Amino acid sequence: MHIAEGFLPPVHAVAWGAASAPFVVHGARSLIREVREHPESTLLLGASGAFTFVLSALKLPSVTGSCSHPTGTGLGAVLFRPPVMAVLGTITLLFQSLLLAHGGLTTLGANVFSMAIVGPWAGYGVYRLLRRYEAPLMVAVFFGAFVADLSTYCVTSVQLALAFPDPGSGFVGALGKFGSIFAVTQIPLAVSEGLLTVLVMRMLVQSSRGELTRLGVLVSSVAGRERAESAEAVAR
Amino acid sequence: MDKAVLSLGLTALAISLPPWPGAALVLVATLAVLLGPAGVPGRRLWRAYRVPLGFCVTGALTLLVQVGGPDGFVSPAEDGPLRAGELLLRTSAASLGVLLFAFTTPLSDLLPRLVRAGVPAPLVDVALVTYRMSFLLLDSVRRVREAQAARLGHTTRAAAWRSLGGLGATAFVRSFDRAARLQTGLAGRGYDGTLRVLVPETRISVRFTVLSVALLAALAALTLVLERPLS
Repeated sequence: MHIAEGFLPPVHAVAWGAASAPFVVHGARSLIREVREHPESTLLLGASGAFTFVLSALKLPSVTGSCSHPTGTGLGAVLFRPPVMAVLGTITLLFQSLLLAHGGLTTLGANVFSMAIVGPWAGYGVYRLLRRYEAPLMVAVFFGAFVADLSTYCVTSVQLALAFPDPGSGFVGALGKFGSIFAVTQIPLAVSEGLLTVLVMRMLVQSSRGELTRLGVLVSSVAGRERAESAEAVAR
Repeated sequence: MDKAVLSLGLTALAISLPPWPGAALVLVATLAVLLGPAGVPGRRLWRAYRVPLGFCVTGALTLLVQVGGPDGFVSPAEDGPLRAGELLLRTSAASLGVLLFAFTTPLSDLLPRLVRAGVPAPLVDVALVTYRMSFLLLDSVRRVREAQAARLGHTTRAAAWRSLGGLGATAFVRSFDRAARLQTGLAGRGYDGTLRVLVPETRISVRFTVLSVALLAALAALTLVLERPLS
């Protein structure tokens, strides 16, 4: 669910655009450098963007029985890293607004900030933290995807609360209202997205180990296993 | 280009004019253009419009109530219906303007021209590959889903989850496989890092642009004339 066209006041739309710009520019510069050094990366990055777009189009059964779409930001951040996701997410959101009118052009900055910046960074942060403490890959992937999804909608609630403060209790009351609609209801969907991401990752580990190693996803798991084995050997 | 003047101009008017009667006039005008000259079938328009409209309605509903205050923890907001109505008008009209652009302008026409507008070529190339590959992948995913359904992959909740996981993984594998095959094919044709595509010359219709600007100006003028009597 993206903030629709015209929903935010112009000042807020510009401010969120300015807040997103440094992250997108940083990601775009690293992407351009990568493409100039390795021209073949264009196709791989394009494929990654298409995968992100298609992932967000899958219908996700919620644990409450309803149905929604995953954000795909958690899996994208684990596979391609948050700076790349800032660019791929921006491209995906631009396509969604221009092809489907999901989101909008004036609200692109706000949607990019929640879905292509905060979501991937929060999810990736949790994933890395859990991996550092040697949590199993699938546990780290689940919580990475869960946090990425939920943080996206928490930021959306903050953006809406800032734009439309409650007449009685200001920002806090508005955050409660928007949060109860856009963030609390998202918890079962975030659980669903976490489960889906684990299923996708399990199948990828079985079928695309080469690609995952190339993307650096499995390096840490191998290193972790080696560390565990050496610790075990020392203990013995 | 000329279509962008009309659709994005209508969107800009919906956001910048007073919601009543400005956004309402823009809403009616955009709907008339979509169903009339643009030739978009009503059913297709509704299927595309209901998602942004759902967000607009849900977001606007929250403005009807206020939290805290003398009337209790949650009570009807004093100007709630007015604020919610204005927001609903503005955002639904603006979304319809973007839909007019979406229904009438293929992105494959727009993307290569972004290089001339100063967007770095590598970024545009990645966006182009993403755009073209997205539809192939969506088609592929649709066929895999049909095959899963034919193999009773959606009969139980557990099977549906397993099928969905397989669908996501298949999309990943196919996207990377397609990228590798595209790379091999392009390498055979002397790929040097730039995706050169033929961009047909655009003819900007002066008549269409003038009519579009006239419509936008008429909507703005009508809003200013009607604003005081109707408010």
